[in-house]
Amino acid sequence: MSNRRMDKAETEAIRDVLAGNRDAYRVLMDRHFCSVTRVAFRITGNEADAEEAAQEAFLRAYNKLPSFRQDSAFSTWIMRIVMNTAINLVERRNRDLSYHAPRIADEPSANDHTVRIADGKAGPEGVLLNREAVSLRHAAMAELTPMERTAFTLRHMEDVSMTEIAAALNVTSNSAKQAVFRAVSKLRRSLTPVAGGAR
Amino acid sequence: MKHFSEEDLIAYQLHESSDEAVIARHLESCSECADLSESIAETLRVFSGDPVPQPNLEHNWQRLRGNLSVLTPEHRRGFEPFRWHWAWPVAGVVTAALVLLTGFGLHIHQTSGTRHSVAVNGHGPLTTEPADSAIANHLEAAERLLTEVNNSSGSLDDTTREQAHDLLLKNAIYVRDARDSGDLAEAAVLENFGRVLTTLDNEPQTSHSTWRLRLEMNTSGLLLDIRILRQNDDHSQGATQ
Repeated sequence: MSNRRMDKAETEAIRDVLAGNRDAYRVLMDRHFCSVTRVAFRITGNEADAEEAAQEAFLRAYNKLPSFRQDSAFSTWIMRIVMNTAINLVERRNRDLSYHAPRIADEPSANDHTVRIADGKAGPEGVLLNREAVSLRHAAMAELTPMERTAFTLRHMEDVSMTEIAAALNVTSNSAKQAVFRAVSKLRRSLTPVAGGAR
Repeated sequence: MKHFSEEDLIAYQLHESSDEAVIARHLESCSECADLSESIAETLRVFSGDPVPQPNLEHNWQRLRGNLSVLTPEHRRGFEPFRWHWAWPVAGVVTAALVLLTGFGLHIHQTSGTRHSVAVNGHGPLTTEPADSAIANHLEAAERLLTEVNNSSGSLDDTTREQAHDLLLKNAIYVRDARDSGDLAEAAVLENFGRVLTTLDNEPQTSHSTWRLRLEMNTSGLLLDIRILRQNDDHSQGATQ
């Protein structure tokens, strides 16, 4: 997530969209959809929700484009939107007890909407260990609040600065930092069997 | 020897610490902190290798495109004197009308007796009934409880549930009093509060019950109503003093 000013192609694309050319939005989507989906995946934890959040974020950004002041980069703006969209989606999913998103399980089952993470390179023992590790990681991440999960994944996995995370989450830099620290502490305790855990 | 906290060591591992050099030196000589630091590093390594699936761009674009409307630029909102040439006469007429209405309103206020307003969530006092200190205390307790309900993330603790039980008994009396005195607005708000209390007192507490209560009974709206009642209470107490 860079804070650079927008380049000419993006500025022109926005101008064309505002002049009534919907297809010009494709330029912005080509450039940023993958990174936006990546961030959404870190927050939601599954592919289907990540794409839904990314779609929603791009649609919101499109509808707000007339009021977008180009004093910050489109990439920064869309990242803020997708973070909030993804957090809202996670909260909605948590509230909606009837929702069954694909979950990771040792044995995939269509009835239970569970899937298995494939690892073509590992041997039988590796597959077993890998399954257990994935399952534990998934469970540990599920223990985090959406805010902790977002702050942690963006800081640690996507190398986003605390200042940018704080701005996107609309909290102080110190709150964002505390959310990351709490997340790491919780994860360490959850992962006792895998990572050595709390000592 | 001064040891570093887990938080200090997490900050160190994430390169967010301002004492990085000091911590690094300490870790060389303190095995306890070194073990904790290594455990944090190991946790971070476990969560660093998750692969991210690549989205199908074309498919997503086609889905999105169907939802895009044709846009037009937002009009400038700056001060444009030539486009506002009609505004001054209109502003003059509106001001004159306001002055007349205020004078007329004051005249009616002085000539008529005390009237009861029954607006809920509106501006100004709901009622001009003089308030007693008991209902004031009850409303204050109600506000505290609803604030707790609106802000807690899991199930409510035992103390809060006991408070709900106590308030439930008193609330029924205040509902009856409000009805008897003809203050239907206050009675309606307190009745709604009574429903929340009954639910809290009878339903089993689960991790989702507080959230469901907030959603189903609109406790935020109720909290606002209670605050307005309290505000009215303060106003009328001020007026009687």
